Amino acid sequence: MAGDAAAWEEIVRRYHRRIYNICYRFAGSGDDAQDLTQDVFIKMYKTLDTYDVERGAFMTWVTTITRNLLVDHFRKSKHARMTDSLDAAPSEHDGAMPLSERIQDKGMPPDAQVQSRETGEAVHLALQKLSPELREAVILRDLQDMDYKEIATVLRVPEGTVKSRINRGRAELARLLQRTYRQVV
Amino acid sequence: MPGETKDGMPCLEFDALLTEALDGTLGGERLERFQAHARACSACGPLFAEIDAGRRLLKSITEVEPPAHLAYNILAATSGLDTVRMHAPMAQPQVSWLDRVRARIAPALTPVFAVVRQPRFAMSFGMAFFSVSMVLNLAGVKVSDLRHVDLHPSAMVRGYHMTSGKVVKYYENIRFVYQIESKVREIKRATTPAEPAPQKDQPRKDNSNTSEQPDQRQERNYSQGENQPVLASTPDVPPVAPVTATGRFV
Repeated sequence: MAGDAAAWEEIVRRYHRRIYNICYRFAGSGDDAQDLTQDVFIKMYKTLDTYDVERGAFMTWVTTITRNLLVDHFRKSKHARMTDSLDAAPSEHDGAMPLSERIQDKGMPPDAQVQSRETGEAVHLALQKLSPELREAVILRDLQDMDYKEIATVLRVPEGTVKSRINRGRAELARLLQRTYRQVV
Repeated sequence: MPGETKDGMPCLEFDALLTEALDGTLGGERLERFQAHARACSACGPLFAEIDAGRRLLKSITEVEPPAHLAYNILAATSGLDTVRMHAPMAQPQVSWLDRVRARIAPALTPVFAVVRQPRFAMSFGMAFFSVSMVLNLAGVKVSDLRHVDLHPSAMVRGYHMTSGKVVKYYENIRFVYQIESKVREIKRATTPAEPAPQKDQPRKDNSNTSEQPDQRQERNYSQGENQPVLASTPDVPPVAPVTATGRFV
Protein backbone atom coordinates (compact mmCIF):
# COMPACT_ATOMS: atom_id res chain seq x y z
CA MET A 1 0.00 0.00 0.00
CA ALA A 2 2.86 2.33 0.80
CA GLY A 3 3.98 2.06 -2.74
CA ASP A 4 0.60 2.91 -4.14
CA ALA A 5 0.84 6.63 -4.61
CA ALA A 6 -2.73 7.03 -5.85
CA ALA A 7 -4.16 5.22 -2.83
CA TRP A 8 -2.05 7.31 -0.52
CA GLU A 9 -3.23 10.47 -2.18
CA GLU A 10 -6.81 9.32 -1.71
CA ILE A 11 -6.17 8.76 1.98
CA VAL A 12 -4.68 12.24 2.34
CA ARG A 13 -7.59 13.83 0.49
CA ARG A 14 -10.20 11.97 2.50
CA TYR A 15 -8.79 12.40 5.99
CA HIS A 16 -6.76 15.59 6.06
CA ARG A 17 -9.76 17.81 6.78
CA ARG A 18 -10.93 15.70 9.68
CA ILE A 19 -7.46 15.38 11.19
CA TYR A 20 -6.84 19.07 10.74
CA ASN A 21 -10.06 19.88 12.58
CA ILE A 22 -9.20 17.60 15.49
CA CYS A 23 -5.73 19.18 15.73
CA TYR A 24 -7.10 22.69 15.43
CA ARG A 25 -9.70 22.22 18.14
CA PHE A 26 -7.22 20.52 20.42
CA ALA A 27 -4.16 22.72 19.86
CA GLY A 28 -6.15 25.92 19.36
CA SER A 29 -3.85 27.35 16.72
CA GLY A 30 -4.06 27.10 12.95
CA ASP A 31 -0.27 26.95 12.53
CA ASP A 32 0.09 24.21 15.13
CA ALA A 33 -2.80 22.35 13.52
CA GLN A 34 -1.05 22.43 10.13
CA ASP A 35 2.21 21.12 11.58
CA LEU A 36 0.46 18.46 13.61
CA THR A 37 -1.66 17.30 10.68
CA GLN A 38 1.46 16.96 8.58
CA ASP A 39 3.17 15.02 11.38
CA VAL A 40 0.18 12.71 11.65
CA PHE A 41 0.35 11.87 7.96
CA ILE A 42 4.10 11.39 8.05
CA LYS A 43 3.68 8.94 10.90
CA MET A 44 0.81 7.23 9.09
CA TYR A 45 2.90 6.93 5.94
CA LYS A 46 5.73 5.30 7.85
CA THR A 47 3.50 2.89 9.78
CA LEU A 48 0.89 2.04 7.19
CA ASP A 49 2.08 -1.55 7.04
CA THR A 50 1.37 -1.99 10.77
CA TYR A 51 -2.33 -1.28 10.37
CA ASP A 52 -4.40 -4.36 11.09
CA VAL A 53 -7.93 -4.37 9.70
CA GLU A 54 -9.12 -6.86 12.33
CA ARG A 55 -8.11 -4.61 15.20
CA GLY A 56 -10.43 -1.80 14.23
CA ALA A 57 -11.59 0.63 11.62
CA PHE A 58 -9.07 2.64 9.68
CA MET A 59 -10.65 5.84 10.98
CA THR A 60 -10.12 4.69 14.56
CA TRP A 61 -6.50 3.89 13.79
CA VAL A 62 -5.95 7.30 12.20
CA THR A 63 -7.63 9.05 15.13
CA THR A 64 -5.49 7.09 17.59
CA ILE A 65 -2.31 8.26 15.84
CA THR A 66 -3.65 11.82 15.86
CA ARG A 67 -4.56 11.69 19.52
CA ASN A 68 -1.15 10.26 20.51
CA LEU A 69 0.64 13.02 18.63
CA LEU A 70 -1.60 15.63 20.20
CA VAL A 71 -0.83 14.31 23.67
CA ASP A 72 2.90 14.41 22.86
CA HIS A 73 2.52 17.94 21.57
CA PHE A 74 0.62 18.93 24.69
CA ARG A 75 3.35 17.57 26.93
CA LYS A 76 6.09 19.30 24.97
CA SER A 77 4.34 22.63 24.91
CA LYS A 78 3.06 22.43 28.48
CA HIS A 79 5.54 24.93 29.84
CA ALA A 80 5.30 27.31 26.95
CA ARG A 81 1.54 27.34 26.84
CA MET A 82 -0.14 30.65 26.90
CA THR A 83 -2.40 31.53 29.78
CA ASP A 84 -4.53 34.08 28.05
CA SER A 85 -8.07 34.62 29.16
CA LEU A 86 -11.22 34.02 27.24
CA ASP A 87 -11.40 37.74 26.65
CA ALA A 88 -8.16 37.66 24.72
CA ALA A 89 -7.81 38.13 21.00
CA PRO A 90 -10.14 36.08 18.83
CA SER A 91 -9.12 32.92 17.14
CA GLU A 92 -5.91 33.23 15.17
CA HIS A 93 -7.12 30.79 12.60
CA ASP A 94 -6.61 32.94 9.56
CA GLY A 95 -6.57 30.37 6.81
CA ALA A 96 -9.40 28.31 8.15
CA MET A 97 -12.77 29.84 7.57
CA PRO A 98 -15.82 28.05 8.92
CA LEU A 99 -17.79 26.27 6.29
CA SER A 100 -20.87 28.20 7.31
CA GLU A 101 -19.11 31.39 6.25
CA ARG A 102 -17.76 29.95 3.06
CA ILE A 103 -21.25 28.91 2.06
CA GLN A 104 -23.25 32.01 2.84
CA ASP A 105 -26.52 31.27 4.59
CA LYS A 106 -28.81 33.80 2.98
CA GLY A 107 -31.66 32.92 5.32
CA MET A 108 -29.56 33.94 8.32
CA PRO A 109 -29.54 37.66 9.08
CA PRO A 110 -26.10 39.34 9.32
CA ASP A 111 -26.47 39.97 13.05
CA ALA A 112 -27.16 36.33 13.67
CA GLN A 113 -24.14 35.36 11.54
CA VAL A 114 -21.89 37.65 13.55
CA GLN A 115 -23.30 36.33 16.79
CA SER A 116 -22.84 32.76 15.62
CA ARG A 117 -19.22 33.45 14.69
CA GLU A 118 -18.53 35.12 18.00
CA THR A 119 -20.10 32.22 19.86
CA GLY A 120 -17.98 29.80 17.87
CA GLU A 121 -14.82 31.69 18.75
CA ALA A 122 -15.79 31.85 22.42
CA VAL A 123 -16.45 28.12 22.48
CA HIS A 124 -13.15 27.47 20.73
CA LEU A 125 -11.28 29.53 23.31
CA ALA A 126 -13.17 27.91 26.17
CA LEU A 127 -12.24 24.52 24.78
CA GLN A 128 -8.57 25.37 25.25
CA LYS A 129 -9.24 25.93 28.95
CA LEU A 130 -10.42 22.40 29.50
CA SER A 131 -8.02 19.75 30.71
CA PRO A 132 -6.65 17.65 27.81
CA GLU A 133 -8.55 14.57 28.97
CA LEU A 134 -11.91 16.34 28.91
CA ARG A 135 -11.02 18.27 25.75
CA GLU A 136 -10.16 15.25 23.67
CA ALA A 137 -13.27 13.45 24.83
CA VAL A 138 -15.69 16.23 23.87
CA ILE A 139 -13.87 16.89 20.58
CA LEU A 140 -14.17 13.29 19.52
CA ARG A 141 -17.77 13.01 20.61
CA ASP A 142 -19.38 16.35 19.87
CA LEU A 143 -17.21 17.61 17.02
CA GLN A 144 -16.22 14.39 15.30
CA ASP A 145 -19.39 12.39 16.11
CA MET A 146 -17.50 9.29 17.08
CA ASP A 147 -19.35 6.68 19.12
CA TYR A 148 -18.36 5.84 22.68
CA LYS A 149 -16.81 2.54 21.77
CA GLU A 150 -14.51 4.13 19.18
CA ILE A 151 -13.57 6.88 21.59
CA ALA A 152 -12.84 4.30 24.27
CA THR A 153 -10.54 2.50 21.83
CA VAL A 154 -8.74 5.70 20.86
CA LEU A 155 -8.33 6.93 24.43
CA ARG A 156 -7.70 3.44 25.81
CA VAL A 157 -10.16 3.92 28.68
CA PRO A 158 -13.48 2.20 29.50
CA GLU A 159 -16.68 3.47 27.94
CA GLY A 160 -17.99 4.59 31.31
CA THR A 161 -14.95 6.80 31.75
CA VAL A 162 -15.48 8.20 28.26
CA LYS A 163 -19.08 9.13 29.04
CA SER A 164 -18.10 10.66 32.34
CA ARG A 165 -15.36 12.73 30.73
CA ILE A 166 -17.66 13.91 27.98
CA ASN A 167 -20.31 15.08 30.43
CA ARG A 168 -17.77 16.71 32.71
CA GLY A 169 -16.22 18.42 29.73
CA ARG A 170 -19.54 19.76 28.51
CA ALA A 171 -20.50 21.03 31.96
CA GLU A 172 -17.12 22.66 32.49
CA LEU A 173 -17.31 24.34 29.10
CA ALA A 174 -20.78 25.71 29.85
CA ARG A 175 -19.58 27.04 33.20
CA LEU A 176 -16.56 28.71 31.60
CA LEU A 177 -18.67 30.44 28.99
CA GLN A 178 -21.31 31.40 31.54
CA ARG A 179 -18.58 32.99 33.67
CA THR A 180 -17.20 34.85 30.68
CA TYR A 181 -20.55 36.24 29.59
CA ARG A 182 -21.34 37.21 33.15
CA GLN A 183 -18.08 39.17 33.30
CA VAL A 184 -18.89 40.86 30.02
CA VAL A 185 -22.40 41.79 31.18
CA MET B 1 -25.99 15.48 46.81
CA PRO B 2 -29.40 14.13 47.72
CA GLY B 3 -29.52 10.40 47.70
CA GLU B 4 -33.02 9.80 46.46
CA THR B 5 -36.16 11.69 45.49
CA LYS B 6 -39.80 10.86 45.77
CA ASP B 7 -39.91 9.04 42.45
CA GLY B 8 -37.32 6.65 43.74
CA MET B 9 -34.43 7.49 41.39
CA PRO B 10 -31.10 7.89 43.11
CA CYS B 11 -28.68 10.53 41.86
CA LEU B 12 -26.22 7.84 40.81
CA GLU B 13 -28.81 6.34 38.48
CA PHE B 14 -29.62 9.78 37.16
CA ASP B 15 -25.91 10.27 36.48
CA ALA B 16 -25.72 6.98 34.62
CA LEU B 17 -28.70 7.92 32.45
CA LEU B 18 -27.37 11.36 31.61
CA THR B 19 -25.65 10.32 28.43
CA GLU B 20 -28.62 8.37 27.13
CA ALA B 21 -30.95 11.23 27.92
CA LEU B 22 -28.76 13.71 26.12
CA ASP B 23 -28.33 11.42 23.13
CA GLY B 24 -32.11 11.02 22.95
CA THR B 25 -32.02 7.28 23.44
CA LEU B 26 -33.84 7.35 26.74
CA GLY B 27 -37.57 6.79 26.57
CA GLY B 28 -40.68 5.62 28.28
CA GLU B 29 -40.99 5.44 32.01
CA ARG B 30 -37.25 5.86 32.54
CA LEU B 31 -37.30 9.18 30.74
CA GLU B 32 -40.22 10.38 32.86
CA ARG B 33 -38.44 9.39 36.05
CA PHE B 34 -35.28 11.04 34.79
CA GLN B 35 -37.07 14.31 34.04
CA ALA B 36 -38.86 14.22 37.37
CA HIS B 37 -35.57 13.79 39.17
CA ALA B 38 -34.03 16.66 37.21
CA ARG B 39 -36.88 18.93 38.25
CA ALA B 40 -36.81 17.90 41.88
CA CYS B 41 -33.10 17.51 42.60
CA SER B 42 -31.26 20.77 43.32
CA ALA B 43 -27.91 19.27 42.29
CA CYS B 44 -28.77 17.06 39.36
CA GLY B 45 -31.15 19.50 37.64
CA PRO B 46 -28.62 22.32 37.17
CA LEU B 47 -25.93 19.78 36.31
CA PHE B 48 -28.09 18.37 33.53
CA ALA B 49 -28.82 21.90 32.29
CA GLU B 50 -25.10 22.73 32.18
CA ILE B 51 -24.18 19.56 30.34
CA ASP B 52 -26.96 20.10 27.84
CA ALA B 53 -25.87 23.72 27.31
CA GLY B 54 -22.26 22.62 26.81
CA ARG B 55 -23.31 20.00 24.31
CA ARG B 56 -25.38 22.51 22.37
CA LEU B 57 -22.53 25.00 22.33
CA LEU B 58 -20.10 22.41 21.05
CA LYS B 59 -22.55 21.34 18.39
CA SER B 60 -22.94 24.95 17.31
CA ILE B 61 -19.35 25.40 16.22
CA THR B 62 -18.70 24.53 12.63
CA GLU B 63 -15.97 22.61 10.93
CA VAL B 64 -13.05 24.71 9.77
CA GLU B 65 -11.60 24.51 6.29
CA PRO B 66 -7.94 23.52 6.21
CA PRO B 67 -5.55 25.64 4.14
CA ALA B 68 -5.65 24.79 0.46
CA HIS B 69 -1.98 23.88 0.30
CA LEU B 70 -2.09 21.49 3.25
CA ALA B 71 -2.87 18.37 1.24
CA TYR B 72 -0.12 19.23 -1.26
CA ASN B 73 2.34 19.82 1.56
CA ILE B 74 1.45 16.50 3.11
CA LEU B 75 1.90 14.68 -0.19
CA ALA B 76 5.18 16.43 -0.81
CA ALA B 77 6.39 15.60 2.71
CA THR B 78 5.40 11.95 2.52
CA SER B 79 5.45 10.51 -0.98
CA GLY B 80 7.36 13.42 -2.46
CA LEU B 81 4.69 14.03 -5.06
CA ASP B 82 2.52 17.06 -5.49
CA THR B 83 -0.44 15.16 -6.83
CA VAL B 84 -0.30 11.85 -8.52
CA ARG B 85 -3.36 12.30 -10.68
CA MET B 86 -2.71 15.79 -11.83
CA HIS B 87 0.98 15.61 -12.42
CA ALA B 88 1.73 11.97 -13.04
CA PRO B 89 1.72 12.18 -16.86
CA MET B 90 3.99 15.15 -16.76
CA ALA B 91 7.67 14.35 -16.95
CA GLN B 92 10.05 15.91 -14.50
CA PRO B 93 11.14 19.25 -15.91
CA GLN B 94 14.69 19.19 -17.15
CA VAL B 95 16.94 21.79 -15.68
CA SER B 96 18.91 23.60 -18.33
CA TRP B 97 22.57 24.56 -17.93
CA LEU B 98 21.54 28.20 -17.79
CA ASP B 99 19.28 27.52 -14.82
CA ARG B 100 22.04 25.59 -13.13
CA VAL B 101 24.48 28.48 -13.61
CA ARG B 102 21.84 30.85 -12.35
CA ALA B 103 21.29 28.72 -9.27
CA ARG B 104 25.01 28.76 -8.56
CA ILE B 105 25.57 32.46 -8.92
CA ALA B 106 22.27 33.43 -7.31
CA PRO B 107 23.68 33.43 -3.73
CA ALA B 108 26.50 35.75 -4.82
CA LEU B 109 24.24 38.09 -6.74
CA THR B 110 21.50 38.28 -4.16
CA PRO B 111 23.21 41.04 -2.08
CA VAL B 112 23.93 42.97 -5.28
CA PHE B 113 20.31 42.76 -6.35
CA ALA B 114 19.29 43.86 -2.89
CA VAL B 115 21.31 47.05 -3.40
CA VAL B 116 20.07 47.52 -6.94
CA ARG B 117 16.46 47.29 -5.82
CA GLN B 118 16.89 50.25 -3.47
CA PRO B 119 15.25 53.50 -4.61
CA ARG B 120 18.49 55.37 -3.99
CA PHE B 121 20.30 53.24 -6.55
CA ALA B 122 17.51 53.66 -9.06
CA MET B 123 17.69 57.43 -8.58
CA SER B 124 21.47 57.48 -9.11
CA PHE B 125 21.14 55.27 -12.16
CA GLY B 126 18.48 57.53 -13.59
CA MET B 127 20.60 60.62 -13.06
CA ALA B 128 23.62 58.95 -14.67
CA PHE B 129 21.54 57.88 -17.65
CA PHE B 130 20.16 61.38 -17.98
CA SER B 131 23.66 62.86 -17.86
CA VAL B 132 25.03 60.46 -20.46
CA SER B 133 22.12 61.05 -22.80
CA MET B 134 22.50 64.81 -22.42
CA VAL B 135 26.23 64.64 -23.19
CA LEU B 136 25.55 62.47 -26.24
CA ASN B 137 22.93 64.92 -27.45
CA LEU B 138 25.30 67.83 -27.03
CA ALA B 139 28.03 65.91 -28.83
CA GLY B 140 25.64 65.20 -31.68
CA VAL B 141 25.73 61.46 -31.22
CA LYS B 142 22.53 59.67 -32.03
CA VAL B 143 21.86 56.33 -30.39
CA SER B 144 20.09 55.12 -33.51
CA ASP B 145 23.35 55.56 -35.44
CA LEU B 146 25.13 53.17 -33.13
CA ARG B 147 23.11 50.31 -34.54
CA HIS B 148 24.92 50.71 -37.82
CA VAL B 149 28.35 50.56 -36.27
CA ASP B 150 30.30 47.58 -37.50
CA LEU B 151 31.61 45.76 -34.45
CA HIS B 152 33.76 43.21 -36.25
CA PRO B 153 37.36 43.16 -34.96
CA SER B 154 38.83 44.05 -38.34
CA ALA B 155 36.40 46.94 -38.75
CA MET B 156 37.18 48.16 -35.25
CA VAL B 157 40.95 48.10 -36.00
CA ARG B 158 40.34 49.96 -39.23
CA GLY B 159 38.23 52.51 -37.40
CA TYR B 160 40.95 52.96 -34.82
CA HIS B 161 43.61 53.61 -37.47
CA MET B 162 41.36 56.01 -39.37
CA THR B 163 40.57 57.96 -36.23
CA SER B 164 44.23 58.15 -35.16
CA GLY B 165 45.16 59.22 -38.72
CA LYS B 166 42.60 62.02 -38.57
CA VAL B 167 43.96 63.18 -35.24
CA VAL B 168 47.55 63.20 -36.53
CA LYS B 169 46.52 65.02 -39.66
CA TYR B 170 44.64 67.63 -37.65
CA TYR B 171 47.64 68.10 -35.39
CA GLU B 172 49.96 68.49 -38.37
CA ASN B 173 47.66 71.06 -39.94
CA ILE B 174 47.48 73.05 -36.73
CA ARG B 175 51.25 72.98 -36.44
CA PHE B 176 51.65 74.17 -40.02
CA VAL B 177 49.23 77.06 -39.39
CA TYR B 178 51.12 78.08 -36.26
CA GLN B 179 54.43 77.94 -38.15
CA ILE B 180 53.02 80.19 -40.91
CA GLU B 181 51.68 82.62 -38.32
CA SER B 182 55.00 82.80 -36.50
CA LYS B 183 56.83 83.38 -39.82
CA VAL B 184 54.43 86.19 -40.76
CA ARG B 185 54.95 87.75 -37.31
CA GLU B 186 58.71 87.60 -37.76
CA ILE B 187 58.48 89.21 -41.22
CA LYS B 188 56.26 91.98 -39.86
CA ARG B 189 58.65 92.66 -37.02
CA ALA B 190 61.58 92.74 -39.44
CA THR B 191 59.87 95.14 -41.89
CA THR B 192 58.46 97.57 -39.25
CA PRO B 193 60.88 100.52 -38.55
CA ALA B 194 62.04 101.11 -34.98
CA GLU B 195 59.95 103.64 -33.03
CA PRO B 196 61.64 106.92 -32.13
CA ALA B 197 62.65 107.33 -28.51
CA PRO B 198 60.48 109.70 -26.47
CA GLN B 199 61.76 113.27 -26.10
CA LYS B 200 62.92 113.86 -22.53
CA ASP B 201 62.98 117.65 -22.56
CA GLN B 202 59.56 118.23 -24.17
CA PRO B 203 57.70 121.02 -22.29
CA ARG B 204 54.39 120.37 -20.64
CA LYS B 205 51.29 121.65 -22.36
CA ASP B 206 49.61 122.95 -19.21
CA ASN B 207 51.92 123.92 -16.40
CA SER B 208 49.07 125.19 -14.29
CA ASN B 209 47.73 121.63 -13.79
CA THR B 210 49.79 120.38 -10.90
CA SER B 211 47.48 117.60 -9.78
CA GLU B 212 48.83 115.16 -12.43
CA GLN B 213 45.58 113.31 -12.22
CA PRO B 214 45.25 112.41 -15.94
CA ASP B 215 48.65 110.79 -15.97
CA GLN B 216 47.84 108.77 -12.91
CA ARG B 217 44.61 107.64 -14.48
CA GLN B 218 46.46 106.62 -17.62
CA GLU B 219 48.89 104.53 -15.60
CA ARG B 220 46.04 102.93 -13.73
CA ASN B 221 44.34 101.94 -16.99
CA TYR B 222 47.54 100.43 -18.35
CA SER B 223 47.91 98.34 -15.24
CA GLN B 224 44.45 96.87 -15.74
CA GLY B 225 43.97 93.67 -17.62
CA GLU B 226 41.76 93.19 -20.58
CA ASN B 227 38.91 91.71 -18.64
CA GLN B 228 39.11 93.95 -15.68
CA PRO B 229 36.31 96.49 -15.29
CA VAL B 230 36.77 100.00 -16.42
CA LEU B 231 35.31 102.54 -14.06
CA ALA B 232 33.44 105.19 -15.93
CA SER B 233 34.16 107.81 -13.39
CA THR B 234 34.72 111.49 -13.51
CA PRO B 235 36.39 113.59 -10.85
CA ASP B 236 33.06 115.23 -9.91
CA VAL B 237 30.57 112.35 -10.28
CA PRO B 238 30.95 109.19 -8.20
CA PRO B 239 30.96 105.87 -10.13
CA VAL B 240 27.48 104.35 -10.62
CA ALA B 241 28.23 100.80 -11.72
CA PRO B 242 31.32 98.93 -12.83
CA VAL B 243 31.45 98.05 -16.49
CA THR B 244 33.73 95.53 -18.16
CA ALA B 245 35.82 96.19 -21.21
CA THR B 246 33.14 94.59 -23.32
CA GLY B 247 30.53 96.93 -21.97
CA ARG B 248 28.78 94.43 -19.70
CA PHE B 249 27.64 95.48 -16.28
CA VAL B 250 29.14 93.51 -13.43
